[in-house]
Amino acid sequence: MIQVTEETRSGWLVVSVRGRADADAADNLEGALRAAVDGHPKVAADFSALDYISSAGIRAVLQAARAAQGRQSEFAICGMSASVKKVFDMSGLHHILRIHGELPC
Amino acid sequence: MLSMLEEVVLLAVDERTGNLRSTREFGTAYALVGAVFFDLALARKIDTDTEAIRIIDTTPTGNATLDRVLAEMARRPNLTTVREWIEEIFHRRQDLEGEALASLIAQGILRHEKSKLLWIIDVERFPVVDDSRQRHVKQRLQHAILSDEIPDTRDIMLLSIAEPCGLLSYVLSDEQIEARKERIRALSNLETISRKVTAAIVSLDATMRQAMTKVV
Repeated sequence: MIQVTEETRSGWLVVSVRGRADADAADNLEGALRAAVDGHPKVAADFSALDYISSAGIRAVLQAARAAQGRQSEFAICGMSASVKKVFDMSGLHHILRIHGELPC
Repeated sequence: MLSMLEEVVLLAVDERTGNLRSTREFGTAYALVGAVFFDLALARKIDTDTEAIRIIDTTPTGNATLDRVLAEMARRPNLTTVREWIEEIFHRRQDLEGEALASLIAQGILRHEKSKLLWIIDVERFPVVDDSRQRHVKQRLQHAILSDEIPDTRDIMLLSIAEPCGLLSYVLSDEQIEARKERIRALSNLETISRKVTAAIVSLDATMRQAMTKVV
């Protein structure tokens, strides 16, 4: 289960995700991120309260990033917890996604 | 839409001769197993992380091959890692290939030909009847590798199992593969399942080489 909240800061739409991004939550995660990307040119996904991410969750993030690229929007992932960062590091997602330690805004 | 397993088998069919080709036979067999896991993941029947593979839904997908593998997985809760399951399903690899070929024939994409070599040896070929599907699979892989766009996750999965078993050489020239090797490596590494498939192939290659050295 995940909880998603949104707020606008300095021109960025910050999508904060809390909980576990597993297969049960993947559709919700992708839907929330894609809706944000569809409606805003600069989106930051704040994963600082995300406890866990599985392969299904990673795929949801990738699909949202792909949608952002298609719209020529900015899409950044920020503030990952240690456990989530470990998954991102092992996958080498920094090669194709824009990842920040802190929010860009 | 073709399953990932069908797409991998279709990539291995030589469009000129209808022969099933593989530069690395064991690698291709492992890739078939990886393809089944990707199909189950896309159907939201299993999920993986850095440690384990989990069944999240045991209701049938409607695809007989996937449902058989899913039922076997549900009966073996003691096997929890991707590696353990890859090795378990690897022993049934010929069923996977045969069932994918049968499905591609039933869909009118391939046809089955049997002949005799020197009047003794049975030879099977699978000439391409409708080449649009194979071309589509190749075009998706070419685009995923040659462009700088973020590929669809399905194409990332396909690339990550086509690469370790040598199937990319039927899609791109050696020069193109060499020029884009960093991107191929980066995309191939994204999926846990493909990382485990690649590790299994590397491990098996090492075992085979060791065995051959002892024989020599």
